Amino acid sequence: MSAELAAALAAEEAAIYAYGLIGVHLDGAGARAEARTAEAGHRNRRDVLVARLDELRASAAPAPAGYQLPFEVTDHGSALKLAIEVEQGVAAAWRAALPATADDDRATAVDALAGAAVRATRWRRLAGVSPVTVPFPGRP
Amino acid sequence: MVLTTRVGNGANGVVRTGGGHTRRRLLGVTVGTAIGVAAPAGCGLFGDDPEPPAPDPLQPVLDEARALSAAYERAVATQPSLAKRLDPLAADHRAHLEELVRVIGRNVPSAAASSAPAGSDPGETLSGLRSAERRAQRTAAALARQVPAERAALVGSIAACRGSHAEALR
Repeated sequence: MSAELAAALAAEEAAIYAYGLIGVHLDGAGARAEARTAEAGHRNRRDVLVARLDELRASAAPAPAGYQLPFEVTDHGSALKLAIEVEQGVAAAWRAALPATADDDRATAVDALAGAAVRATRWRRLAGVSPVTVPFPGRP
Repeated sequence: MVLTTRVGNGANGVVRTGGGHTRRRLLGVTVGTAIGVAAPAGCGLFGDDPEPPAPDPLQPVLDEARALSAAYERAVATQPSLAKRLDPLAADHRAHLEELVRVIGRNVPSAAASSAPAGSDPGETLSGLRSAERRAQRTAAALARQVPAERAALVGSIAACRGSHAEALR
Protein backbone atom coordinates (compact mmCIF):
# COMPACT_ATOMS: atom_id res chain seq x y z
CA MET A 1 0.00 0.00 0.00
CA SER A 2 2.79 2.42 0.90
CA ALA A 3 4.29 2.12 -2.57
CA GLU A 4 0.99 3.12 -4.21
CA LEU A 5 0.49 6.02 -1.79
CA ALA A 6 4.07 7.14 -2.43
CA ALA A 7 3.32 7.07 -6.17
CA ALA A 8 0.19 9.16 -5.56
CA LEU A 9 2.34 11.60 -3.60
CA ALA A 10 4.79 11.84 -6.51
CA ALA A 11 1.87 12.58 -8.88
CA GLU A 12 0.54 15.28 -6.54
CA GLU A 13 4.01 16.87 -6.28
CA ALA A 14 4.30 16.87 -10.07
CA ALA A 15 0.86 18.48 -10.33
CA ILE A 16 1.82 21.26 -7.90
CA TYR A 17 4.95 21.95 -9.94
CA ALA A 18 3.04 21.93 -13.23
CA TYR A 19 0.29 24.25 -12.02
CA GLY A 20 2.94 26.85 -11.19
CA LEU A 21 3.78 26.97 -14.89
CA ILE A 22 0.23 26.54 -16.10
CA GLY A 23 -0.98 29.48 -14.03
CA VAL A 24 1.42 31.98 -15.62
CA HIS A 25 0.53 30.97 -19.17
CA LEU A 26 -3.25 30.89 -18.92
CA ASP A 27 -5.25 33.80 -20.31
CA GLY A 28 -8.25 35.09 -18.44
CA ALA A 29 -8.97 35.54 -14.76
CA GLY A 30 -11.41 32.63 -14.75
CA ALA A 31 -8.91 30.08 -16.02
CA ARG A 32 -6.19 31.39 -13.72
CA ALA A 33 -8.52 31.17 -10.71
CA GLU A 34 -9.35 27.62 -11.74
CA ALA A 35 -5.63 26.76 -11.80
CA ARG A 36 -5.12 28.28 -8.34
CA THR A 37 -8.02 26.26 -6.92
CA ALA A 38 -6.68 23.10 -8.52
CA GLU A 39 -3.19 23.74 -7.19
CA ALA A 40 -4.54 24.29 -3.67
CA GLY A 41 -6.43 21.00 -3.93
CA HIS A 42 -3.26 19.16 -4.89
CA ARG A 43 -1.35 20.80 -2.04
CA ASN A 44 -3.97 19.55 0.42
CA ARG A 45 -3.70 16.02 -0.94
CA ARG A 46 0.07 16.24 -0.78
CA ASP A 47 0.01 17.32 2.88
CA VAL A 48 -2.42 14.54 3.83
CA LEU A 49 -0.25 11.97 2.03
CA VAL A 50 2.96 13.15 3.65
CA ALA A 51 1.35 12.81 7.09
CA ARG A 52 -0.10 9.41 6.25
CA LEU A 53 3.15 8.01 4.89
CA ASP A 54 4.89 9.29 7.99
CA GLU A 55 2.34 7.47 10.12
CA LEU A 56 2.99 4.30 8.13
CA ARG A 57 6.72 4.87 8.62
CA ALA A 58 7.08 4.68 4.87
CA SER A 59 9.63 6.77 3.11
CA ALA A 60 8.70 8.76 0.08
CA ALA A 61 11.27 9.94 -2.39
CA PRO A 62 11.84 13.66 -1.96
CA ALA A 63 10.16 15.74 -4.62
CA PRO A 64 12.61 16.65 -7.35
CA ALA A 65 13.41 20.32 -7.77
CA GLY A 66 12.27 20.25 -11.39
CA TYR A 67 10.39 18.04 -13.78
CA GLN A 68 10.79 17.06 -17.37
CA LEU A 69 7.56 18.26 -18.94
CA PRO A 70 6.01 16.20 -21.75
CA PHE A 71 6.07 19.31 -23.95
CA GLU A 72 6.96 22.95 -23.65
CA VAL A 73 4.40 25.25 -22.11
CA THR A 74 4.51 28.52 -23.99
CA ASP A 75 0.96 29.83 -24.20
CA HIS A 76 -2.67 29.41 -23.13
CA GLY A 77 -3.23 26.40 -25.39
CA SER A 78 -0.22 24.42 -24.21
CA ALA A 79 -1.00 25.35 -20.59
CA LEU A 80 -4.50 23.88 -20.92
CA LYS A 81 -3.08 20.78 -22.58
CA LEU A 82 -0.65 20.29 -19.71
CA ALA A 83 -3.42 20.79 -17.13
CA ILE A 84 -5.41 17.99 -18.78
CA GLU A 85 -2.34 15.70 -18.78
CA VAL A 86 -1.55 16.50 -15.16
CA GLU A 87 -5.03 15.59 -13.98
CA GLN A 88 -4.97 12.41 -16.05
CA GLY A 89 -1.68 11.48 -14.40
CA VAL A 90 -3.05 12.19 -10.92
CA ALA A 91 -6.17 10.14 -11.71
CA ALA A 92 -4.01 7.20 -12.85
CA ALA A 93 -1.95 7.27 -9.65
CA TRP A 94 -5.01 7.30 -7.40
CA ARG A 95 -6.77 4.63 -9.43
CA ALA A 96 -3.74 2.38 -8.97
CA ALA A 97 -3.96 3.02 -5.22
CA LEU A 98 -7.57 1.77 -5.01
CA PRO A 99 -6.92 -2.00 -5.00
CA ALA A 100 -3.98 -1.52 -2.64
CA THR A 101 -5.90 0.41 0.02
CA ALA A 102 -8.76 -0.08 2.47
CA ASP A 103 -10.89 1.97 4.84
CA ASP A 104 -9.86 5.63 5.12
CA ASP A 105 -7.05 5.32 2.59
CA ARG A 106 -9.46 3.77 0.08
CA ALA A 107 -11.95 6.58 0.72
CA THR A 108 -9.22 9.17 0.12
CA ALA A 109 -8.28 7.46 -3.14
CA VAL A 110 -11.93 7.34 -4.30
CA ASP A 111 -12.34 11.08 -3.62
CA ALA A 112 -9.01 12.02 -5.16
CA LEU A 113 -9.70 10.03 -8.33
CA ALA A 114 -13.09 11.74 -8.74
CA GLY A 115 -11.56 15.16 -8.07
CA ALA A 116 -8.94 14.66 -10.76
CA ALA A 117 -11.55 13.39 -13.24
CA VAL A 118 -13.78 16.42 -12.63
CA ARG A 119 -10.87 18.84 -13.09
CA ALA A 120 -9.72 17.07 -16.26
CA THR A 121 -13.24 17.51 -17.65
CA ARG A 122 -13.22 21.20 -16.74
CA TRP A 123 -9.87 21.72 -18.52
CA ARG A 124 -11.00 19.76 -21.59
CA ARG A 125 -14.05 21.99 -21.85
CA LEU A 126 -11.93 25.13 -21.52
CA ALA A 127 -9.54 23.75 -24.15
CA GLY A 128 -12.40 22.89 -26.51
CA VAL A 129 -11.40 19.21 -26.44
CA SER A 130 -14.17 16.75 -27.25
CA PRO A 131 -15.34 14.51 -25.70
CA VAL A 132 -14.88 16.20 -22.34
CA THR A 133 -15.06 12.93 -20.41
CA VAL A 134 -13.48 9.48 -20.51
CA PRO A 135 -15.40 6.34 -19.49
CA PHE A 136 -12.80 5.05 -17.01
CA PRO A 137 -10.80 7.93 -15.53
CA GLY A 138 -7.29 6.87 -14.55
CA ARG A 139 -7.33 3.67 -16.57
CA PRO A 140 -4.14 3.34 -18.60
CA MET B 1 -41.84 -6.40 6.91
CA VAL B 2 -41.21 -4.92 3.56
CA LEU B 3 -42.67 -7.95 1.88
CA THR B 4 -45.90 -7.78 3.85
CA THR B 5 -46.44 -4.19 2.84
CA ARG B 6 -45.81 -4.91 -0.82
CA VAL B 7 -48.04 -7.96 -0.86
CA GLY B 8 -50.74 -5.97 0.86
CA ASN B 9 -50.58 -3.33 -1.79
CA GLY B 10 -50.57 -5.83 -4.59
CA ALA B 11 -53.40 -8.06 -3.34
CA ASN B 12 -56.06 -5.82 -1.93
CA GLY B 13 -54.68 -5.94 1.55
CA VAL B 14 -54.78 -9.71 1.81
CA VAL B 15 -51.57 -10.96 3.30
CA ARG B 16 -51.04 -14.56 2.38
CA THR B 17 -48.95 -16.59 4.71
CA GLY B 18 -48.85 -20.04 3.18
CA GLY B 19 -48.18 -19.63 -0.50
CA GLY B 20 -44.58 -18.82 -1.16
CA HIS B 21 -44.98 -19.28 -4.88
CA THR B 22 -48.05 -17.13 -5.13
CA ARG B 23 -46.45 -14.46 -3.08
CA ARG B 24 -43.40 -14.45 -5.22
CA ARG B 25 -45.43 -14.24 -8.37
CA LEU B 26 -47.40 -11.33 -7.00
CA LEU B 27 -44.22 -9.51 -6.21
CA GLY B 28 -42.89 -10.05 -9.70
CA VAL B 29 -39.64 -8.33 -10.53
CA THR B 30 -39.62 -6.12 -7.46
CA VAL B 31 -38.78 -9.13 -5.32
CA GLY B 32 -35.31 -9.37 -6.84
CA THR B 33 -33.49 -7.70 -3.99
CA ALA B 34 -35.85 -8.82 -1.23
CA ILE B 35 -35.93 -12.55 -1.89
CA GLY B 36 -33.20 -13.13 0.65
CA VAL B 37 -35.50 -11.66 3.28
CA ALA B 38 -38.40 -13.85 2.23
CA ALA B 39 -36.75 -17.18 3.02
CA PRO B 40 -36.27 -16.70 6.77
CA ALA B 41 -39.83 -15.39 7.00
CA GLY B 42 -41.16 -18.86 6.31
CA CYS B 43 -41.50 -19.39 2.61
CA GLY B 44 -38.99 -20.91 0.30
CA LEU B 45 -37.35 -23.01 3.01
CA PHE B 46 -38.94 -26.15 1.68
CA GLY B 47 -39.70 -24.80 -1.75
CA ASP B 48 -39.12 -27.03 -4.72
CA ASP B 49 -37.73 -24.30 -6.91
CA PRO B 50 -34.16 -23.12 -6.36
CA GLU B 51 -33.74 -19.64 -4.99
CA PRO B 52 -32.22 -17.25 -7.50
CA PRO B 53 -28.64 -16.33 -6.62
CA ALA B 54 -28.28 -13.39 -4.27
CA PRO B 55 -27.92 -10.15 -6.20
CA ASP B 56 -24.37 -9.05 -6.78
CA PRO B 57 -23.33 -6.09 -4.60
CA LEU B 58 -22.61 -4.16 -7.81
CA GLN B 59 -26.17 -4.66 -9.10
CA PRO B 60 -27.24 -1.12 -8.09
CA VAL B 61 -24.33 0.36 -10.06
CA LEU B 62 -25.29 -1.75 -13.08
CA ASP B 63 -28.96 -0.74 -12.78
CA GLU B 64 -27.96 2.91 -12.68
CA ALA B 65 -25.68 2.53 -15.71
CA ARG B 66 -28.61 1.08 -17.65
CA ALA B 67 -31.07 3.70 -16.41
CA LEU B 68 -28.71 6.59 -17.14
CA SER B 69 -27.95 5.29 -20.60
CA ALA B 70 -31.71 5.11 -21.29
CA ALA B 71 -32.27 8.57 -19.80
CA TYR B 72 -29.71 10.07 -22.20
CA GLU B 73 -31.34 8.35 -25.15
CA ARG B 74 -34.74 9.74 -24.14
CA ALA B 75 -33.26 13.20 -23.70
CA VAL B 76 -31.68 13.17 -27.16
CA ALA B 77 -34.88 11.81 -28.71
CA THR B 78 -36.87 14.67 -27.17
CA GLN B 79 -34.24 17.36 -27.75
CA PRO B 80 -32.04 16.45 -30.72
CA SER B 81 -30.09 19.70 -30.32
CA LEU B 82 -28.45 18.13 -27.23
CA ALA B 83 -27.14 15.10 -29.13
CA LYS B 84 -23.61 16.38 -29.68
CA ARG B 85 -23.22 17.06 -25.99
CA LEU B 86 -25.02 14.03 -24.59
CA ASP B 87 -24.08 11.19 -26.95
CA PRO B 88 -20.51 10.83 -25.60
CA LEU B 89 -21.84 10.68 -22.04
CA ALA B 90 -24.35 7.98 -22.98
CA ALA B 91 -21.47 6.03 -24.58
CA ASP B 92 -19.58 6.18 -21.26
CA HIS B 93 -22.56 4.59 -19.48
CA ARG B 94 -22.79 1.86 -22.09
CA ALA B 95 -19.08 1.13 -21.56
CA HIS B 96 -19.73 0.89 -17.80
CA LEU B 97 -22.65 -1.44 -18.37
CA GLU B 98 -20.53 -3.73 -20.54
CA GLU B 99 -17.72 -3.90 -17.97
CA LEU B 100 -20.12 -4.45 -15.07
CA VAL B 101 -21.89 -7.29 -16.87
CA ARG B 102 -18.50 -8.87 -17.53
CA VAL B 103 -17.40 -8.55 -13.90
CA ILE B 104 -20.71 -9.61 -12.36
CA GLY B 105 -20.92 -12.50 -14.80
CA ARG B 106 -24.59 -12.09 -15.63
CA ASN B 107 -26.88 -9.45 -16.99
CA VAL B 108 -29.98 -9.51 -14.85
CA PRO B 109 -31.98 -6.35 -14.75
CA SER B 110 -33.45 -5.91 -11.29
CA ALA B 111 -36.08 -3.38 -10.36
CA ALA B 112 -35.73 -0.41 -12.65
CA ALA B 113 -33.57 2.21 -11.03
CA SER B 114 -35.20 5.59 -10.96
CA SER B 115 -33.95 7.68 -13.80
CA ALA B 116 -34.18 11.26 -14.83
CA PRO B 117 -37.27 12.11 -16.85
CA ALA B 118 -36.56 14.16 -19.94
CA GLY B 119 -37.44 17.77 -19.20
CA SER B 120 -39.58 19.94 -21.40
CA ASP B 121 -36.67 22.21 -22.33
CA PRO B 122 -32.90 21.62 -22.64
CA GLY B 123 -32.07 23.41 -19.39
CA GLU B 124 -34.49 21.29 -17.41
CA THR B 125 -33.27 18.11 -19.11
CA LEU B 126 -29.63 18.89 -18.34
CA SER B 127 -30.35 19.66 -14.70
CA GLY B 128 -32.38 16.45 -14.32
CA LEU B 129 -29.51 14.43 -15.78
CA ARG B 130 -27.03 16.24 -13.55
CA SER B 131 -28.96 15.26 -10.42
CA ALA B 132 -29.22 11.67 -11.62
CA GLU B 133 -25.45 11.57 -12.25
CA ARG B 134 -24.75 12.93 -8.76
CA ARG B 135 -26.98 10.31 -7.15
CA ALA B 136 -25.36 7.57 -9.20
CA GLN B 137 -21.90 8.87 -8.30
CA ARG B 138 -22.76 8.59 -4.61
CA THR B 139 -23.88 4.97 -5.03
CA ALA B 140 -20.70 4.01 -6.87
CA ALA B 141 -18.39 5.95 -4.55
CA ALA B 142 -19.91 4.33 -1.46
CA LEU B 143 -19.42 0.88 -3.01
CA ALA B 144 -15.90 1.69 -4.20
CA ARG B 145 -14.94 2.11 -0.55
CA GLN B 146 -16.08 -1.39 0.36
CA VAL B 147 -15.63 -3.68 -2.61
CA PRO B 148 -12.82 -6.26 -2.75
CA ALA B 149 -9.52 -5.09 -4.18
CA GLU B 150 -10.07 -6.63 -7.61
CA ARG B 151 -13.20 -4.53 -8.15
CA ALA B 152 -12.02 -1.31 -6.55
CA ALA B 153 -10.43 0.30 -9.60
CA LEU B 154 -13.45 -0.35 -11.84
CA VAL B 155 -16.02 0.96 -9.37
CA GLY B 156 -13.82 3.91 -8.41
CA SER B 157 -13.45 4.88 -12.07
CA ILE B 158 -17.19 4.60 -12.65
CA ALA B 159 -17.85 6.87 -9.66
CA ALA B 160 -15.28 9.36 -10.96
CA CYS B 161 -16.76 9.25 -14.46
CA ARG B 162 -20.25 9.98 -13.13
CA GLY B 163 -18.81 12.93 -11.22
CA SER B 164 -17.17 14.21 -14.40
CA HIS B 165 -20.53 13.89 -16.18
CA ALA B 166 -22.17 16.11 -13.57
CA GLU B 167 -19.41 18.62 -14.34
CA ALA B 168 -19.87 18.23 -18.10
CA LEU B 169 -23.59 19.01 -17.72
CA ARG B 170 -23.00 22.31 -15.95
